[in-house]
Amino acid sequence: MTRVLVVGAGIAGTAAALAASAAGASVTLLDGGPGASVLAGGALDLLPWEDATGSQDDAALADPAVAGVLRELAELVHVTPTPAVLVTQAGILRPARAAAVGLLDLAPLSAGLVLVPRAEHPGWDAAACARAWNDTALARARGLEFAAIDATLTRLTDERFLAHADLAARYDEPAQFSWLADRIKQAVARYAGSRVVAVVAPPWLGVEHARARATELSHAVGVPCGEPLLGPGGPAGLRFERARDRALGRREVVVVAARAKEVARDGDAWAVTLEGGDALQADRVVLSTGGLVGGGLTYAPSASVLAGELPPRARPSFASTVEAPVAIGTGRRPIGIPGSLFGESPESLAWPFAPFAPLLERAGVLASSSGHVDAGLYAAGDVVADRPRTWLDALAQGARAGATAARAT
Amino acid sequence: MREHQGPAPEQAFDVAVIGGGVNGTGVARDLSLRGLKVILFERNDLAFGASGNSSGMIHGGVRYLTSNPRVTEQSCRDSGYIQQIAPHLLFRIPFLFPVKSGLKGRIAIELIDAFFRAYDQFQPLKRGEPHTRLSPSELAVLEPGLTGSLVGGITFDEWGVDGARLCVLNAVDAKERGATIHVHTAVEAVERSEDDDGRGRPGQNVGSYVVRARDLLTDRAVLARARVVVNATGAWGPITAALGNLPAARVRVRPGKGIHVAFDRRLSNYGIVCEAIDGRQIFVMPWQNMTVIGTTDDDYFGDLNDVTATSEEVRYLVQGVARVFPAIREARAIGTWAGVRPTLYEFGRNEDALSREHLVVDHAHDGAPGIYSMIGGKLASYRIFAQEMSDRIAQDLAPSSVCTTHEKPLPGGDRVPDALALSEQSGVTPVAARRLVYRHGSRSARILARLAKSPRERAIVCACEPVLEAEVRHALASEMARSVEDVARRTRLGLGACGGMRCAARCGQIVAEELGLPPSHGAKMARAFLVRHARSRIVAMGPEQARQEALAFAAMRATLGTREDEP
Repeated sequence: MTRVLVVGAGIAGTAAALAASAAGASVTLLDGGPGASVLAGGALDLLPWEDATGSQDDAALADPAVAGVLRELAELVHVTPTPAVLVTQAGILRPARAAAVGLLDLAPLSAGLVLVPRAEHPGWDAAACARAWNDTALARARGLEFAAIDATLTRLTDERFLAHADLAARYDEPAQFSWLADRIKQAVARYAGSRVVAVVAPPWLGVEHARARATELSHAVGVPCGEPLLGPGGPAGLRFERARDRALGRREVVVVAARAKEVARDGDAWAVTLEGGDALQADRVVLSTGGLVGGGLTYAPSASVLAGELPPRARPSFASTVEAPVAIGTGRRPIGIPGSLFGESPESLAWPFAPFAPLLERAGVLASSSGHVDAGLYAAGDVVADRPRTWLDALAQGARAGATAARAT
Repeated sequence: MREHQGPAPEQAFDVAVIGGGVNGTGVARDLSLRGLKVILFERNDLAFGASGNSSGMIHGGVRYLTSNPRVTEQSCRDSGYIQQIAPHLLFRIPFLFPVKSGLKGRIAIELIDAFFRAYDQFQPLKRGEPHTRLSPSELAVLEPGLTGSLVGGITFDEWGVDGARLCVLNAVDAKERGATIHVHTAVEAVERSEDDDGRGRPGQNVGSYVVRARDLLTDRAVLARARVVVNATGAWGPITAALGNLPAARVRVRPGKGIHVAFDRRLSNYGIVCEAIDGRQIFVMPWQNMTVIGTTDDDYFGDLNDVTATSEEVRYLVQGVARVFPAIREARAIGTWAGVRPTLYEFGRNEDALSREHLVVDHAHDGAPGIYSMIGGKLASYRIFAQEMSDRIAQDLAPSSVCTTHEKPLPGGDRVPDALALSEQSGVTPVAARRLVYRHGSRSARILARLAKSPRERAIVCACEPVLEAEVRHALASEMARSVEDVARRTRLGLGACGGMRCAARCGQIVAEELGLPPSHGAKMARAFLVRHARSRIVAMGPEQARQEALAFAAMRATLGTREDEP
């Protein structure tokens, strides 16, 4: 049985582990702590959404390994034939290839009233959101009108101070949740005469069973109900972790909470040294440590290096946190050798302003399109150079890398 | 969004002030207090230039101590006046001046000690403590983070101030006393009025001018007639003079760029004077709830509307500070700011040392009676500079008036309320109340009174500072803020550790609502704010932060988008 070791427990690593296991490998997964997947808000894209134009090429999702992983994560995500349209708490409407559970998908809706119940919570201003959503081209094009409506959705004082994610976890309790559903139902009932097509609920629809909660609420109210997309602090990350842990558990993947320090050849196999000093053996290794975000790559800006004295020698400004035999690059070119003593200057890296993708987003491990880096070493997800940094793309890469790793001889 | 509308009806004023920095707002307030009708134009926002990007200190002119002690006395007295009129806005910064050991150091500390002994006589004027001389062990007790072999050190006292708020308070006071203030309104031309009625009697230095301006946010034209025009545009001075067809060479300034780097917390309770690699004095100091290091001084020839720090400048400062205070290398930089000093290029005829710092140019010599340019100046001496300018104008327009800017408190400066009591009465957290009192003094009560009418304004929009929704709305309704950036300048919203990631979008919604703009415009302002501050941060970032920055950006892209135009 092929031993596959996956480094990183984000969506790319999870997909790799599930696909490798499905292909018959014995899989161990290193979980180094939360990263981008856990902090993502639940908008699942194949391409960066602002670059995605109209129809998207779903070919990547048709791969059997990818479809298999999507099936195993069905409690988290269901990729519908048509892309989703999501409302975000920052006040825009945006397309997404798919939505994680709990989020309201406006794609099937048109011409009608979308109600937004008020709640006494500092992170929930229904009126402001409704105003902002009404002022978007997508809402106008679809004839959707958002309206804040009166409701009393908090009853305990502490609810006004809790983060959305914690409040969502509280509503995992069925009795609690039916109280909330009741209140929303009552608030919406006053609009029985209007053409209400959906309800944007506060992002508290539970963590364990958000899909069931959203369905239950939608049945009670009589129209589709769901949450808006939140930034960090929302429940989407917790839902990802739960779905991942259950899927990995079903596959009997061994999860080790540790960070890899070194990945080195050991005869025909690979030896992975952990930060604590322990070592693991594997036939194949999938690196899915994430981009800069997940700590898969470090960036050492020249400013901090030179804050004190000159460095002993020029250092590459980007490096992998895992000492693996990989080349770091952007645009298919290695950037391991700094152009000058000072490396890339931060100004040229810049914040990822449109219209160009900056170095901070493009830097990564150079790999072939199948994720192949070296014999028996694969890379997937944000750690790969010059790939779109999106959730579904990472899932597809991970699934392919995992399946390839398990099968390769 | 630009709306093409007809020009506003032309109005007549005594004085038109161009420039909303501390000099412009200071003059506007002074003249308004004297009963004159004033209009002020600011191209960007109040305190957009040097005033809002200074070191944030009101100091006592210590460098003139040997050349002209009268100037030091005047500076210290003026510092005392500013404390009287805005007691809530000033905070004490005790400085340490560590001296390295060695023969040079042993001589230097005697000289520094004697120097500050002379400065001590002026300290009571600004309520400062006299200096003390410390042994190396005493220094180590006060600030254990100091390294290197030291012969000892000196302490001295300075006062910190939020320069942007100082400008805003001057402008608010001028407005409440009848002045008209236009922010984001660029002056396009200053013309001699065709129907110059010669109201100026012989010997009076006044004219009749039409100031043509344009509101850059609405594209609306603004016309004003004024008898006196004051050019208080700092580093923009020569550009402004050219708008009035005046020779730019008469108001030559030598723009000197200075940058500061802010760190996420108070690393020390003392300011520390350090030496940069080229021997210049730089400093690290606690400032409000952050640590600030500064500053550089380099000739600047770039775009005055877009001045940003570079990584080389950041490195220069960090390197210098790290020699005596190495903890700075491990600290988390949360932003930089850069301003351009309007340093005098040519010295005036007046030999008085203070006038080397600032100078009033009378354009009567250029055939434009009634037009003045204020050049040079420092935050610390703004009030006296404004008084000199106003005295000159008042000779012709309000001869019997006297300056009262040193007696009449700035808005909120009449008394400093107890933050804890306010917190208990209003239910806002003590930290939020404390910060509110710092910025608004007695006017905090006005802001908290909003909560009775609208309880949801108790929501904390910016958790880093923190800033209440009520304060954001107050800044928009009563302090002339017109964008997310303007709100940040007045409240420090989004300038803390999270860089606006958690509050910019929400603030944009509030700005749009309060000003009656479409919400998409609010989102656009939020994006512009985030981009601008990300650019200022990136030059000072360490490796850990680069990762967090990429993550924060992903969250922003998911929920707010990065494109200027809506999807």
